[in-house]
Amino acid sequence: MASIDDSVPKPPPGRHLRARDAIVVVVAVVVLLVLFKGASIRESGEEMQPGFERDVVLAVGRPAGWVADRLPFDEVGDRITGWLSSDDDLGTAGGFDRPIRGGRAGTVAPVTPDSFDPGTVGENPARRRELKTLLVTGDSLAMPLDVEVARRLAPDGVKVLRDPHLGTGVSKSGFVDWGKLSTQQVRSDSPDAVVVFIGANEGFDMPGPNGRDVRCCGRDWAAVYATRVRRMMNTYRQAGAARVYWLTLPFPRDRDRQEVARAVNAAIEVAAQPYRAQVRVLDMVPVFTPGGRYRAAMTVDGRQQIVREPDGIHLNGTGAEVAADIVLDAVDRDYRH
Amino acid sequence: MVFPSLEFAIFFPIVLAVSWALMPRPRLWKPFILAASYVFYAAASVKFCLLLAGVALANQLGAKMIDRSTDEGRRTYLMAATVAVDLGVLGLFKYYGFFSEEWGALLDDIGLGTPLPLLAFALPVGLSFWTFQAISYVVDVRRRHVEVAPTIDVALYLSFFPHVVAGPIVRAKEFLPQLRTPRNPRDVAVGPAVVLIGIGLVKKVAIADYLARTVVDPVFGVPQAFSAPDVALAAYAYAAQIYCDFSGYTDIAIGVALLMGFVFPINFNCPYRATSFRDFWRRWHITLSRFLRDFLYIPLGGNRGGRWKTYRNLMITMTLGGLWHGAAWGFVLWGGLHGVCLCVERALRGRISLPAWLRWAIVFNLVTLGWVLFRSRDVELAWTFLSRLGDPGPATLWTFPVLLAVGVTIGLQLLPPRPLEAIRVRMAELSPATLAASLALVIALVGATVPANAVPPFIYFQF
Repeated sequence: MASIDDSVPKPPPGRHLRARDAIVVVVAVVVLLVLFKGASIRESGEEMQPGFERDVVLAVGRPAGWVADRLPFDEVGDRITGWLSSDDDLGTAGGFDRPIRGGRAGTVAPVTPDSFDPGTVGENPARRRELKTLLVTGDSLAMPLDVEVARRLAPDGVKVLRDPHLGTGVSKSGFVDWGKLSTQQVRSDSPDAVVVFIGANEGFDMPGPNGRDVRCCGRDWAAVYATRVRRMMNTYRQAGAARVYWLTLPFPRDRDRQEVARAVNAAIEVAAQPYRAQVRVLDMVPVFTPGGRYRAAMTVDGRQQIVREPDGIHLNGTGAEVAADIVLDAVDRDYRH
Repeated sequence: MVFPSLEFAIFFPIVLAVSWALMPRPRLWKPFILAASYVFYAAASVKFCLLLAGVALANQLGAKMIDRSTDEGRRTYLMAATVAVDLGVLGLFKYYGFFSEEWGALLDDIGLGTPLPLLAFALPVGLSFWTFQAISYVVDVRRRHVEVAPTIDVALYLSFFPHVVAGPIVRAKEFLPQLRTPRNPRDVAVGPAVVLIGIGLVKKVAIADYLARTVVDPVFGVPQAFSAPDVALAAYAYAAQIYCDFSGYTDIAIGVALLMGFVFPINFNCPYRATSFRDFWRRWHITLSRFLRDFLYIPLGGNRGGRWKTYRNLMITMTLGGLWHGAAWGFVLWGGLHGVCLCVERALRGRISLPAWLRWAIVFNLVTLGWVLFRSRDVELAWTFLSRLGDPGPATLWTFPVLLAVGVTIGLQLLPPRPLEAIRVRMAELSPATLAASLALVIALVGATVPANAVPPFIYFQF
């Protein structure tokens, strides 16, 4: 037998201390971070998917936030590190925290012509316009769809803006408020068309009309969700100047997530109703999960191919190609490029 | 659970304190740290904890049977059977989808249809790392390089949380002896650990993720939209990104292990300083290259069977090494490219003498070319990317911060190592209070660079 202990690597040079000091150093780091970044810990916890990990982070984050709220360090920390932030300031316009005015009880809001796609009432479809700028946005679902769409439109000189925001959702607006973000996206880029694929991180409680949190995934939750989506659709359609292509969620493998997806898809359909002239809802369910049944593989180009990522949520490269076909078919009906 | 996360920031101080409190009592310490490691792993995937435990038990069973047997042939047979179980698990979860799809496409082309059901298995986090460690244990028992360890030690060797998800690939003979006796609570490398964790965070969060966001992902996503200057920048930026991402992870893993009293082998040693491919593989992912050398290249015959057999062995080793990274043709081609370069280098050894700077330039640029294949995953995208290098146009992504990040990452590796090492040692000699304040400042600063969508996973997590 070879001398085994010779094989054990040697530690790098530097100060060796007692184990107690190691614990003190680590605890001191944690205490400093709680003092300077306590509120961020709480906010991060609130943005996490419900579950054990979220409960643990909030169990620490809430008291940490409470402490940080009562001390001036958090502000100091933000001032010191603020210049390094890579996030755009989304401003306040369009935020979901601002309530929208509802119709008075007993009254009926007038239906506008925008509720009708011209073809459905026998009118000629609007003339195809030139597509110069297309925004592809959403959460992680928008990847790699954004890449696929951009690759296909690149030879035509169409500027494709890819702006997916991972880990975000319409029902979680702590870090990224999609109401504000959509407003900012339209302000800065004024895209001719917008493709939206979002919904991998939904199911969070949202404040309802009376200010109380509404839990997923009944009609009350779907109504609040649909209201938010409708506001985004209205922003993206830019008073009728742009077309919006909103993809529904192919059902995920996990049953709990299926319940959320069902509510999200129903909400998207309802949200689009007043803007049928400009908003196209592209239903991914019959394509990827016909009958609402999850499947990892389907026939593409005449042979069986895997279309979902192993996580059972996202589309893989082949799936994104299929989705891009559907998106670009719809875009081609409205635009020339 | 990833290192730069709130969950880990809560998990680690508790585990560290309890671990040192229980350290003098191994009967309590080992179950505790094993449980903590499984909690860490469960945060990534609960259901695969069973798989991890199953692999540990299967390898321990194999090792015990090997140990009991005195017949060399039977020992070899038992080792092969156990390694086959490990490779079977790896193959099923990592390669089944890829090969069944490719095989189906091939049969379809000749009109025979798809014979295998297509399934997209979820990939257990760190599978490639812990199956390789399991193989290392069984083979080393067969070779009598290690003794059979208690089952709890083997389970801990595979699942120890600082290395379970992305290495480094610690050999059984490096780790198991450290479990035999309690770690010394009066001799903890706190200074080097804190410095490594700080450097790792800067590499991963401040450099790798920044380069990914600003240059690498946009250009590799749609190379058609960019012209030569941006495409070239993206290639070098990816070289910097993957180094910072993976070596950053390793630095944090080694630092965390040091605080727990354990020493891991180094995994990177200024790889972009290499002036030959042989040199590169002694500096890049060192624990993988020595695994491939000891468990694949040498058993295949190494350089003992003449020139052509050596080339064959190099090509097999590097191609399989490429495939280890993932089930995609880009990885196979990347491994193949390195294999060809190693063969050519071997063939030319002693025949051509080039100045060191020229050797460095050739190796560095070929390594960068290899990263294009690695990042692109499919040949078509890699070709599109490379073909854009012939298309002159504006440099839209050449900003000062990007050039600085790429320049510092590569440039620091070219500087004489001693002064840099002296600075690192000096930092590691700081007082505990200064170390704590410095690490807190680093975490706050790099944390501020993280966009709202949080830290992307480490590249090597998917392997």
